Amino acid sequence: MEVMEGVPPVINLTEVARTEKEEFEKKVSELIIEFGAENLLACMQCGACASICPLARVGFEWYNKKLIKAILIGMKEELLDDSTPWACVACNRCTEICPRQVSPFEVMFAMRRLMVEELAISTLAIEGDRSLYEHGHAVYMTGREARKKVGLPEKPPTTDSDEKALQELRTILKNTKLAELGLIPME
Amino acid sequence: MSDKDIRIGVYICHCGENIAGAVNINEVAEFAKNLPDVAVVRDYLFMCSDPGQEIIKEDIRKGLVNRVVVAACTPRTHEPIFRRACEDAGLNKYYFEMANIRDQCSWAHWHEKEKATEKAKQLIAAAVAKARLLEPLEDRYVELNKNVMVVGGGIAGIFAALDLANAGFKVYMVEKNPSIGGNMAKLDKTFPTNDCSACILTPLMVEVANHPNVELITYAEVESVDGSVGNFKVKVRKKQTYVDWEKCTGCGACINACPPKARVPDEFNEGLSLRGAIYIQFPQAVPKKAVIDPDACIRCSGRWFGEEPRRTKDGKPILAPCEKACPTGACSRDEPRDPNGELIELNVGSIIVATGYKVMDKKQFKEFSDSPNVITALQMERLITATGPTEGKLIVPSDIPKYLEWKKKVEKGKEAELEARKPKVITFVSCVGSRDNRYHTYCSRVCCMYMLKQAMLLKEKYPELDIYMFFIDVRTPGKDFDEYYMRCRNLGIKIFKGKVGGVQKLPDERLLVKGYDADLGKPVELISDIVVLATAIEPNTDLKDLARKLGINVGAEGFLRERHTKLYPVDTMTEGIFIAGCAQGPKDIPDSVAQAKAAASSAASLLAPGKMKVEPLISEVNPEKCTGCGICVELCPYGAIEMVEYNGKRKSKINETLCKGCGVCAAACPSKAITLHGFTYEQVVAQIRTIAKKGVIEEV
Amino acid sequence: MISETVSETLKEKLKFGLFLGCNIPFNRPDVEQAMRKIFPALNVEIDDLVGQSCCPSWGTMPSVDVVGWCAVAARNLCLGEEKGIDLMAACNSCYGSLNEARHKMLNNPEIMNKVNEILAKIGKKYEGKAKCRHVAWVLYRDVGLEKIKESIKYSLDGLTIAVQPGCHFLWPSEVYPDKEEDPFNPKVLRELCKALGADAPYYTKLIDCCGMGALRSTNPEKSFTLVKEKLECIKEEIDADLIVTTCSSCLIQLDDAQERLRKEGKISFSIPVLHYVQLLALCMGFDPQQVAGICVTPRDEIIKRILESGKR
Ligand SMILES: Cc1cc2nc3c(=O)[nH]c(=O)nc-3n(C[C@H](O)[C@H](O)[C@H](O)COP(=O)(O)OP(=O)(O)OC[C@H]3O[C@@H](n4cnc5c(N)ncnc54)[C@H](O)[C@@H]3O)c2cc1C
Ligand code: SF4
Ligand code: SF4
Ligand code: SF4
Ligand code: SF4
Repeated sequence: MEVMEGVPPVINLTEVARTEKEEFEKKVSELIIEFGAENLLACMQCGACASICPLARVGFEWYNKKLIKAILIGMKEELLDDSTPWACVACNRCTEICPRQVSPFEVMFAMRRLMVEELAISTLAIEGDRSLYEHGHAVYMTGREARKKVGLPEKPPTTDSDEKALQELRTILKNTKLAELGLIPME
Repeated sequence: MSDKDIRIGVYICHCGENIAGAVNINEVAEFAKNLPDVAVVRDYLFMCSDPGQEIIKEDIRKGLVNRVVVAACTPRTHEPIFRRACEDAGLNKYYFEMANIRDQCSWAHWHEKEKATEKAKQLIAAAVAKARLLEPLEDRYVELNKNVMVVGGGIAGIFAALDLANAGFKVYMVEKNPSIGGNMAKLDKTFPTNDCSACILTPLMVEVANHPNVELITYAEVESVDGSVGNFKVKVRKKQTYVDWEKCTGCGACINACPPKARVPDEFNEGLSLRGAIYIQFPQAVPKKAVIDPDACIRCSGRWFGEEPRRTKDGKPILAPCEKACPTGACSRDEPRDPNGELIELNVGSIIVATGYKVMDKKQFKEFSDSPNVITALQMERLITATGPTEGKLIVPSDIPKYLEWKKKVEKGKEAELEARKPKVITFVSCVGSRDNRYHTYCSRVCCMYMLKQAMLLKEKYPELDIYMFFIDVRTPGKDFDEYYMRCRNLGIKIFKGKVGGVQKLPDERLLVKGYDADLGKPVELISDIVVLATAIEPNTDLKDLARKLGINVGAEGFLRERHTKLYPVDTMTEGIFIAGCAQGPKDIPDSVAQAKAAASSAASLLAPGKMKVEPLISEVNPEKCTGCGICVELCPYGAIEMVEYNGKRKSKINETLCKGCGVCAAACPSKAITLHGFTYEQVVAQIRTIAKKGVIEEV
Repeated sequence: MISETVSETLKEKLKFGLFLGCNIPFNRPDVEQAMRKIFPALNVEIDDLVGQSCCPSWGTMPSVDVVGWCAVAARNLCLGEEKGIDLMAACNSCYGSLNEARHKMLNNPEIMNKVNEILAKIGKKYEGKAKCRHVAWVLYRDVGLEKIKESIKYSLDGLTIAVQPGCHFLWPSEVYPDKEEDPFNPKVLRELCKALGADAPYYTKLIDCCGMGALRSTNPEKSFTLVKEKLECIKEEIDADLIVTTCSSCLIQLDDAQERLRKEGKISFSIPVLHYVQLLALCMGFDPQQVAGICVTPRDEIIKRILESGKR
């Protein structure tokens, strides 16, 4: 995906502010804070997080530091189309070194949560959630040759072999945003 | 052993690697051993250290040496140290000579070690040649006048004056404006604690004005300065106020009477409003007295001071509105008044210069348009403060006239609706004229912080305001400063790394701002109602002139120069004159106050003993040799020489309290009648000859 | 038991809930089998935590809803807490997700309350006691290097290992029950490898990300650039015989992506990759087919070498 897509050569801050005020119910920064990045505003744009971010290293445009800046000035539409947050490996090295304890990882993930909330996501992004609901595992395989090969029973002692546990998990999931947003069946 | 028996000790310093890195110390030491009258040669890592000095003292005490040559760094900083060491060990301290083999040798020839070594030898030989001819001298003492003059009544001047006055010194405070207070009086609240500027400043203004040891001389300027430390004679011109301050009670009746036609931009409100030709600088002024600005006065009654009044048909004198309004007769025009005011002369022992700064005008920055809604940060202070032109109501500056109209109507009891526009967007631009080769290369140091302050105050009061701040970078080097910056960020103020390069007027008085954001790596633009320029803090226009009168230096950037950046930060090259506050360079209130207190204590420790030791390195005339030509009199930059009667003839005589030992007269005297002690003709010639002979000392 | 300090854990017999996650039981069951072999042999009891689920992994609940993330994690943690034991994971993602969730719950009562409201619906309550330990830390701190040295039948003398502790073994250090003294120069895995007789030197990119996870699923090309950089560094700087990791994601990435890079002609070397528990199991003499039988980059030679020349 062309990552700077939708961002014009000159950023019109007045337009950004107007859209934020008139078209959104809440400021983007408020949403991101609500979605878990509590220290967002403390970011001073030092760039330390970007210096070690694997995403920045391999050429994603909206890596941690830049994403934070865009959020701070109220950009949203441009960001909702971008896949960078979904590439974040959650390595948390940025969290470890951020001098303002912003936890840029948490911003990346809050952005994911915002995208989910606005259903601005690809089917790929929720495949894991569906599988989690179905089987209790995000990664799930029906073939069991490998297990047999190494001398293990076909089914691991997980929700895979415990129907009651799977139902418990489903109950939990039904009480989360996944169900609220209709991504899994409601109760 | 008699003094005639000369035994010179040569002490060579390595200065760590500073000298030893370029000069072959052993070779130089060997060389020095063979110089005439040299009894001892020693070298050490740091001669100026305690153990280093002890080496010299030990040799003196043991009688091994009775003249000392130290080959090390600069006499400017280190001569006094070694002189004291000699004195401590019982040797007349003027039996000391220094050879600078660091600044002028090892540093200068770092990559030419052989040549540096050769040069060091010659410099040491020259010093030895001089040392052989040194004479013992005795220190002199001069009486000190214990009064102090503080020039400038800003926060720095006020603190300097209060500290000295409390210590029992008489202080004359000379302030050029009608009131003291300076720029701080114009500020709304102050970082980093946001306390109200007037609330903390006004009590201090009153305190200094009422202090029995302080004599306030406002609306006055220094005209000339003569004399030197301990005995300065300062002529001060008290400007003509055109109001009898004895009678003026500061009631303000005259101000309201002064007609609109006579209104000019109000300096205190940074031109955001107008004041009358007769005015009181600001409501909290100390002293609170009116003055008439003769250039603005339109002479309503058709007469000037001392002129006969015009009369009505029935013979009653026609008075000017101000004159008529004044309940005390302070404005009376019956007596003539000298437009030049009054010249007074004051004698003081020390002077503290605390004349502060001015901010750059926005006019120079054409790229930010000529819109009235582009204002300086100091104007912003006036716009948000309760004592400002709008009583702190936030409206766009172009609508201030509308506001004033409205206010007038309301005051007259009329119903009126205020149509002034309230800003929704405010943009701050940093480093306007600072860090800019076209104007000032320096950083103005306080702008980042006051911009953050203004933004914070605005955002806290009007949360719906959109505030955009453009910084080249945010500089917050002070206690609690970065925490202050974080507070701003947490308020949701939008901060950009990059400078605004253009502001263009829109048809509706709003402004199109063109900036850059290094964070996103893109230009940004926005529409703003007000643009605040953090214009540079710069020296007052008359600072150079004042410095010249005082005989002190200004740096390349125009601020007063301190004697030494690190060690003598409030001293000047002229003894007895100290500097404090923004006159020395841009700084905030805490730093201005700290400097003021430092200057006060420096002045106090100088004057407290009542007398002062002066080096005997001054010139003396031998009247027997003087032919009375008088050449020296004109040449002396300190006016220390006069012609006197001596045995019926005209001879020159040097006033030893005024002589600074510059040596101009000694060099110029065609009869060699003047001796500069410590640098006699013979001594200097011996040095020069030695150098000319590449280190060989000639016998005389 | 829930281990607070090492000394405490040593008093009684060690017991942990074996937390499997997803990748290990389905993709790399040889790692699971390795753990099932080594721990009893080291006198560490393991509990199956029957009914455990996905931790939840980063791409699922953590990307949707903080409370949901914590609730799923808390259910897994409850399985241990109910038995009075800590969990133990051989996958960094599980270790990271479970501990970050726990950290959030412990530091934010609002989250904890909401989680327990949800858990109440399935008759559970999480008190914040049970946590997830990392197998590497259990081996290093609880079992101890001495015991490991005693337990091995084959040693790795003469072999050079490139270690890959993996991101979630290190950061954010704040959330983890065990912390490297210097996470930027981690030593636990190196010490564990040295205990087997190998050399485990430092190399420049030791702490750098392997590029697995979301990056790989979002943009494989970009993911491969990262892993290539890392592999080249390992080859050039220490010319390792073997790469050893304590994370199942790193294991898959380094093993699988390496083969792809080779096929595409982007690298020309081949370095076998093992999870530390597999290596230990091999050294303890367990059947290579069972404990290290699944890989893409060939392991046969290195296993042969260990078993032939490493016999003590
Ligand atoms: C917009 C703005 C906001 C600021 N906000 C803050 C803040 O929030 N906190 C903070 O700590 N600092 C702030 N500052 C800095 C602060 O204003 C200065 O640190 C302080 O005023 C310096 O005091 P001063 O006494 O050295 O100089 P000044 O205040 O300039 O006082 C000098 C005085 O000397 C007089 N004078 C000048 N020339 C002569 C002469 N030739 N003869 C006799 N008298 C003379 C002047 O009339 C004046 O009264 C701000 C500055 C600006 C521009
Ligand atoms: S999130 Fe932290 S590390 Fe990243 S730019 Fe902001 S302050 Fe710096
Ligand atoms: S956690 Fe995400 S944003 Fe932070 S450094 Fe890792 S990949 Fe980058
Ligand atoms: S009216 Fe008279 S007393 Fe009042 S301020 Fe004016 S001059 Fe002073
Ligand atoms: S005469 Fe008095 S009232 Fe008239 S302009 Fe002059 S000062 Fe003002």
